[in-house]
Amino acid sequence: MGVDPSMYGKGLRPLSIATPVAFAITLSLVFFYAPIEADQGFLQKIFYLHVPLAITSLCGFIVGGIFAILHLRRDDPRYDAYSYVSIHISVIYACGALITGSIWAKGSWGHWWVWNEPTLVSFLIVFLLYATYYPFRYAIEDRQRQARYASVFAVTAGAFVPLNFLAVRMSASLVHPRVFATAEGGLPGSMMLTFLCSIASMALLWTTLVKFELSAKSAHGQLKRLRRALDAPTGPPTSRIAPEVH
Amino acid sequence: MVDTLYGWIVAAPAIPNDVGGKYVAGAYIVFVVLLLIYVGIMARKLAGIERGLREVAEVAEQRKADAGETEHAEVKS
Repeated sequence: MGVDPSMYGKGLRPLSIATPVAFAITLSLVFFYAPIEADQGFLQKIFYLHVPLAITSLCGFIVGGIFAILHLRRDDPRYDAYSYVSIHISVIYACGALITGSIWAKGSWGHWWVWNEPTLVSFLIVFLLYATYYPFRYAIEDRQRQARYASVFAVTAGAFVPLNFLAVRMSASLVHPRVFATAEGGLPGSMMLTFLCSIASMALLWTTLVKFELSAKSAHGQLKRLRRALDAPTGPPTSRIAPEVH
Repeated sequence: MVDTLYGWIVAAPAIPNDVGGKYVAGAYIVFVVLLLIYVGIMARKLAGIERGLREVAEVAEQRKADAGETEHAEVKS
């Protein structure tokens, strides 16, 4: 057939080894190397989990949008699968960012949620926007139309993410801490190193989960094809193996 | 390398058992639980795929055996 059936799992093994190693290093840095922050104390350790989760999820939404553009341009179902899986894992990450952020807010501000803080509310809006991706996608029965409309959604929502981020950065209320490019100078070196390692670990985990999900979906799709082939053994094989996103 | 690690552990700030501890533990536990839920769901899906593959393999083997028997009968006749 000329298509390597294991292509979605390619690189999964080294990623699966590298991810726990990276997390072990990051957690060691978080709890043994990074100093206790003067203002918030030990509570600030949530920062190394919450912020990388949020940043990776937002980047994942943008990556999903980029794959959606490629799908619309090239009409290749594989890019639709990449876009779907990127958004799927990013929604899980966003869910984690919201819960850990809420725990941090309770410990730091005494409230689980602050409605007048633009960073929190805008992130919730982005999360809710992407939560509608699933019902929107599966409300359409025709698979080609479903993939096309989902791609249009992913591109529009993906463009909304950086615009939303910029709007929040320019807003007046700054209760939520800023990490980069602040007038106070941002993080000290040891904290910055730990933070960058946390982001790298989260990004590595995101990539591993995306690959894992794609491999599983590809295996499921191939199983369906096998079943169809057993029912109609003379049917022509398709030239491309794309993971099923149904 | 070992000296560096030892130096880090010795110089590590003491983990204070203050009010922040339970929130930090809670946040990290939430992350681990989310991961475990995801892995659990994926494990169930993979088990389904494995079951499906076994069924397909059994059907394919059965067909091969049936085809062999038919060929054998044709040669005999």
